[in-house]
Amino acid sequence: MGLLDKILGRKEPKKPADFSDVRSGSSSTAPATAPTPTASPTSRTYTVVAGDSLSKIAKREYGDGNKWPTIFEANRDKLKNPDLIHPGQVLVIPALSDGGR
Amino acid sequence: MMKLFPATRLALIFALVGTLGATACGKKADTTSRNPPPAAMPAALHVMGVTLGRTIGPDKRIINASQQFSPTETIYASVETMGSATAATLAARWTFEDGQLVDQSSQAIAPTGPAITEFHISKPSGWPSGKYKLEILLDGKSAGTKEFTIAS
Repeated sequence: MGLLDKILGRKEPKKPADFSDVRSGSSSTAPATAPTPTASPTSRTYTVVAGDSLSKIAKREYGDGNKWPTIFEANRDKLKNPDLIHPGQVLVIPALSDGGR
Repeated sequence: MMKLFPATRLALIFALVGTLGATACGKKADTTSRNPPPAAMPAALHVMGVTLGRTIGPDKRIINASQQFSPTETIYASVETMGSATAATLAARWTFEDGQLVDQSSQAIAPTGPAITEFHISKPSGWPSGKYKLEILLDGKSAGTKEFTIAS
């Protein structure tokens, strides 16, 4: 600070504080992004062959024959009776949701 | 009967007609125009409050609220929001005394209801004593400020 500054009563400029080592962070109870609508799981088709049953197809496709109702429900438009499927019928095999696995 | 000048009589007639007309219009408006009930709209996201403190809980709420801290403390700010948004940004702008920027950080949020977002700052070498200000911005717009003091 010069003599002239002192005579004129000028104050010494305040040094800015050093905040270079400040650490910060944040978190929220809200998700960071909106839940995207889950893409409908892809479904496949299967052509029934002689000797097939829904439980056999379920066993083959899902590894669990007890999941045959999933296939039946997905094909209600063409299946009236789960015990009655015909060779050549093309069935939709829906992908299992997480809850169904 | 009181004698009136023709101009005064005319003025009275106009006033009477005007009053009747206004009454009729008022009745009509009253009976025919009803505002439809407001449609249910998703609540817009807004900041309900900002709390400063020394510690936060797992729910991001401040446990020890304070506006005075020691130089070695971590300062937490808990920002309570209401409403929903598919994409919003909460930012915390910390400044020192005359506006010197201390830190600015932001948090993307997509709340579907009440939510709490916490911001915190620390300075291993110790905070300079003085007055500080925290400004919370929601999508770039100021949504609240809090002042606090660091004193050794």
